[in-house]
Amino acid sequence: METKKIFEKHKSDILSEWTEAVFSTYPFQTTGFLRTKHDPFTNPVAAMTREAAGILYDALSGDDTDVQTVKQAIERFVKLRAVQEFTPSQGLGVFFLMKPLLRKHILPEMAKGAGDVPACYLELESRVDSLTLLAFDIYTKARETLADIRIKEIRNQYAQLKRWAQQLNESSPLN
Amino acid sequence: MAKLPTPQELVASRPAFPDEAWLDTKPKFAPGSFCYPAKKETMEIMHMPNPHDWDPAADDWNLPDNWEQILCDAFAERLEKHRSLKLFMDICVRCGACADKCHFFLGTNDPKNMPVLRAELLRSLYRRDHTMLGKILGKKVGARGWDKEVVKELFYYAYQCTECRRCSLFCPYGIDTAEITAIVRELLHEVGLGTHWIMDPVKNCSFTGNHLGIKPHSFVEIVEMLADDCETVTGIRPKTPFNEKGHEILFLTPSGDVFADPGIYTFMGYLLLFHELDLDYTLSTYASEGGNFGSFTTFNMAKKLNAKMYHEAERLGVKWILGGECGHMWRVINQYMDTYNGPSPACMEVPKSPITGTVFENAASTKMVHITEFTADLIRHNKLKLDPSRNDHIITTFHDSCNPARAMGLLEEPRYILKHVCNNFVEMPENTIREQTFCCGAGSGLNTEEIMELRMRSGMPRGNALRYVQQKYGVNHMACVCAIDRATLPPLADYWAPGVTVSGVHELVANALVMKGEAKRTMDLRQEDLPNVEADDAAEQGE
Repeated sequence: METKKIFEKHKSDILSEWTEAVFSTYPFQTTGFLRTKHDPFTNPVAAMTREAAGILYDALSGDDTDVQTVKQAIERFVKLRAVQEFTPSQGLGVFFLMKPLLRKHILPEMAKGAGDVPACYLELESRVDSLTLLAFDIYTKARETLADIRIKEIRNQYAQLKRWAQQLNESSPLN
Repeated sequence: MAKLPTPQELVASRPAFPDEAWLDTKPKFAPGSFCYPAKKETMEIMHMPNPHDWDPAADDWNLPDNWEQILCDAFAERLEKHRSLKLFMDICVRCGACADKCHFFLGTNDPKNMPVLRAELLRSLYRRDHTMLGKILGKKVGARGWDKEVVKELFYYAYQCTECRRCSLFCPYGIDTAEITAIVRELLHEVGLGTHWIMDPVKNCSFTGNHLGIKPHSFVEIVEMLADDCETVTGIRPKTPFNEKGHEILFLTPSGDVFADPGIYTFMGYLLLFHELDLDYTLSTYASEGGNFGSFTTFNMAKKLNAKMYHEAERLGVKWILGGECGHMWRVINQYMDTYNGPSPACMEVPKSPITGTVFENAASTKMVHITEFTADLIRHNKLKLDPSRNDHIITTFHDSCNPARAMGLLEEPRYILKHVCNNFVEMPENTIREQTFCCGAGSGLNTEEIMELRMRSGMPRGNALRYVQQKYGVNHMACVCAIDRATLPPLADYWAPGVTVSGVHELVANALVMKGEAKRTMDLRQEDLPNVEADDAAEQGE
């Protein structure tokens, strides 16, 4: 079967299993809420996850793989994972949770007729690695932004005080 | 040979079904999730009970020996004193309407950040000592006793609530979770547990009148520096009357607007507006703080810090008080001031705008008018000459600050003003504004930098809505009416919606205000060039 058709066939299964796997990284009592509420503003974590899932899948299937577009689309999700209580590996590792799903759904169909793991499938898994690397850039930048805004905030809090103190210093007869 | 864990094991390490009940799962005090503790000296000098050195990340918090007795007694006393608290403890049916309304819950997905469960942390203690069923059946009916881990848990979650009251809006019984949080914080202060970011401003306010502890002469000099800046932009140097007796109005605003960027531009906006109106008013160096961080510690402290407003009004003999753009200041004024320090001094009268003659009946009791009510009334009566095209490079949205929106119903006035001073105004999605507004994520004394990471997740629902209008409508500006917002929303925007600037409403008012005898405006109050001024005009001006 043509790759595109295989991807279309398994899209809804893989997307729901992947979002489910991401929701499972949150406390047990919360996953029900994440799963059932669909408003993007009053359940933003689920909305961000679902958005990322769709983009991720399309990028894996070979459609819409322009790097900037993909980066922009998963940015919100990665930024979220970057400030939640996860280790960096837990934050970003969710992308690798796609691999067992691909092996479960896509590999058997791609391997039909071929004895070994076909090259096209190996390429597909490499695309997961590429996407994770792109996400790593976003993640690192998000953490740097976080450090920057801390410094900026401290400066802003005393901005006028500092300016006033500098003026005093300049007008001091000791200068 | 040891095996490396698989990605699945690294990422999804939580068991399919938890080993312990939610109430037994204890929080981890990881850096970035808790505020620094108040200094012992600060607690001592403020006569707070049981001051001591402690570290939230340590196992032992050095609580006083009889800590349990202190807490049980203090809780019993609060239940006696506040009928509302007793009611809130008894009445909740755990319907869960509030559960997913909290921005902390939405950002952290921690079940104990559901308002119902956050309150349950205290309610479980209430059950053991104050209900018959709890006394007899104990854990079976959700009762539990105090232990040191419970104290830590209360601290952790009482400082993951900004007292924004969004949850209360959805509660069919009207339970005010903010008051429960306030009581938990009060109890914690009884055993010497406070946070630096709150107690330090409280101390400074007590000794010098404002949060940063700026002495009167320096305060005046900084305000004059801002008046100089106004002159640079408009060619007019507004007057800065301080501590003058016999004026009609005392103007009070949070001191953040005098010291902090970008609040100062809002303050400059006030100065220019009052100058243009030739308003009969004075500022004060004694009451140089509208904010009240006491309200994040105990009711008594809030009362003490609030008292200077009426004291100063009486000393200066003003008729009424005009209040600047602030959040919790207005909650204290609107909901507590009368009880704390009312009735207002005899010299005060029901506020009446000297420009339009409008009587502010809504402020008949407190004698305090919100600046956006005042300005909206001016615009309504056509008393201001405005040129909104000066703000044409801005597409603004409006963030309803929790306290003015939910604690005093101030929803229309800021919007009315914005629509008259800006040609491009866009609302954020309706379930994130007005009464349902999402908190900036750092109110009630949580706007400290050590928990920036926590603030980015608690502010995420707001940041998410902002990002939406930024992408959909090209919004590049967010106006608000709260000094804490002006401090906390810029980092939030930098993280979630980079490119959006934040300001107070009156910064935009002053930018659009056409003043008598002003020089041609070529820049805004931030001294950034106005893109819509034609080059020729600008050159003429320079000559």
